[in-house]
Amino acid sequence: MSSSNKKTQRQRKKTSFISPRRILIIAQSTVTQLVRMKVFYFLAPIAAVFVGIQFFDAPWYAGPEASQPQQELQMHKNLCLGTMMLFSSLFAIVSTALLIPRDIEDRTLYTILCKPVPRLDYLVGKLLGVMAVVFIALAVMDMILVVTLHFRTGAVLADLEPYLQKLGWPQELVDEKLDEISAHGPTMTLQYGVLAYFFKASVIAAVALLISTFSTSTLFTIASSVMIWIIGAAQNIARQGLFEQGGLAEDSGPIAKILATLVSLLFPDFQIFDSVAEAATRAADISSEQILQLGGFTFFYLAIYTVLSWFVFSDKEF
Amino acid sequence: MSDIPAVEVSGLVKDFQTSFRGPKLRAVDNVSLRIEPGEVYGMIGPNGSGKSTTMKALLGLVKPTAGTCSIFGKDSLKVDSRNDVGFLPENPYFYKHLTGAETIKFYGKLCGMRGAKLKHRIDEMLNLVGLDDARNRALKGYSKGMLQRIGLAQALVQDPRLVILDEPTAGVDPSGSREIRDLILELKNRGITVFLCSHLLEQVQEVCDRVGIINHGKMVRQGKLDDLIALEDRTEIVLENASPELLDQIHTLVDVTYGVDMISEGNPRTTLEDLFLRETKPRRTVTKKRRKRTNS
Ligand SMILES: Nc1ncnc2c1ncn2[C@@H]1O[C@H](COP(=O)(O)OP(=O)(O)OP(=O)(O)O)[C@@H](O)[C@H]1O
Ligand SMILES: [Mg+2]
Repeated sequence: MSSSNKKTQRQRKKTSFISPRRILIIAQSTVTQLVRMKVFYFLAPIAAVFVGIQFFDAPWYAGPEASQPQQELQMHKNLCLGTMMLFSSLFAIVSTALLIPRDIEDRTLYTILCKPVPRLDYLVGKLLGVMAVVFIALAVMDMILVVTLHFRTGAVLADLEPYLQKLGWPQELVDEKLDEISAHGPTMTLQYGVLAYFFKASVIAAVALLISTFSTSTLFTIASSVMIWIIGAAQNIARQGLFEQGGLAEDSGPIAKILATLVSLLFPDFQIFDSVAEAATRAADISSEQILQLGGFTFFYLAIYTVLSWFVFSDKEF
Repeated sequence: MSDIPAVEVSGLVKDFQTSFRGPKLRAVDNVSLRIEPGEVYGMIGPNGSGKSTTMKALLGLVKPTAGTCSIFGKDSLKVDSRNDVGFLPENPYFYKHLTGAETIKFYGKLCGMRGAKLKHRIDEMLNLVGLDDARNRALKGYSKGMLQRIGLAQALVQDPRLVILDEPTAGVDPSGSREIRDLILELKNRGITVFLCSHLLEQVQEVCDRVGIINHGKMVRQGKLDDLIALEDRTEIVLENASPELLDQIHTLVDVTYGVDMISEGNPRTTLEDLFLRETKPRRTVTKKRRKRTNS
């Protein structure tokens, strides 16, 4: 006994400031917790909606005669991506807001923090856990989206080809048109759109994390995170209003500018994510650099919010 | 072995801001204590006297207003100090969705354990606290005493050199609390330092080498248990099958002897309990209130 005791004592080295392994353990336990809270059950009705859209024709869809048959596919993508955005953002807020205040209320945190776990590790672990669950949920929805969109594209193409041939289009032109429509099907660009929403949900989760480190109730965390989410979405409009609409902007130039910069530091500009996702539904070109940039932007916000959370959290008493 | 104490608390003061602008509440007032390696130290005191707060400060869960705490020479505010300590908080709550075995696994992993060693340790711990049968049941179905036991297992998982137990027997049935007492004695035999607080004074008296009595945040008495409870100017005679005649004779003998008083008579009480009541008795606020009520 004493020899093994000595051995373990020798093994106990300095606790590192941040340890990927420990973060992973906490992230893993967060995923387990969320899974056992049965959050994935929410995916069932969403899947049903996605499949249901399949059988729903846009009111303006006029069959193969339509001048722009891709509208049909765009509507499908719009509805699905919109649902995914709403779900992933709300999910990120609610699950982050539920986890940390609950750990504090239940005093589970006592037992975790009295093990050699730096508080930063705990926060990062929780955030990564929520992000992992959001990722899984989005991936499942994405899969359903890709499958349903694949069939729908097939149906539109199958309608269109004989119609164009009947109109006497030469085969090359028909193929060209079909290719053009296919670009609105399940493509890489569409995946970029989904990724943009994952980034957005992650940033929102980090905001909720920060709020939950100083708020004392779950409800307050959820309400204020939702508020920031809405302000973040609206601030682009507000900023445009401040700067680009003549008179007002010129008069109060510097003050307004400082104000806007402050606001944009506090409230992340979610428009950046939305515009990429919107481009994806239009099947516009999205370069991989653009996505990398978006990733960098996401990382920047995650880092800022995590460090701020850590500042608040490291002074917290239980 | 070495002169580094297992626990050193010096001049600990902790104020709590109870309301937004109101006065601060001093929960712990200049408490100092030192626990040598291998010792079992018991802290006793009335409800709200600052026992749990002292323990939390020692674990870095609250920041001292003044003073310092350290564990094996490492400052409590540093994460490093928590490598060698296991803590059982009062009313332990864990993730309710985890099973008993998963709970211990989680805490073991947080301590950096893994693989076969951890697996073996989980079995060992569940066996130690008598939860073999419940290992695969979720904690939401555990009773209060079972939660207390799993908390104990969790505290011991990494085989720490110091164990801090905040009321380890709260909610545990009599035989269970006896088992916990035996467990503490076993830890002591293995050279593990134990710092506990409890309201079961008999148990504290049975297991502790040294005790400290805390009241209103102040350490009022501290020392070796034997020294504390020995009353040199008093003698207790415990008789078995004493006849009324014999007792009468003793009474008269005491009465006629100059300078000797009969202070109490009856079944012997636990002496630590006596000491505790004596040291923490002046609850003036309560008596004052009562007097007021009777006046009006
Ligand atoms: N987080 C806190 N905020 C405000 N006051 C607190 C806090 N924690 C403890 N206190 C106060 O500090 C005092 C000491 O509390 P503590 O929990 O240390 O008592 P205790 O000796 O453990 O009592 P018990 O035997 O009931 O467990 C109490 O008056 C309590 O109200
Ligand atoms: Mg207490």
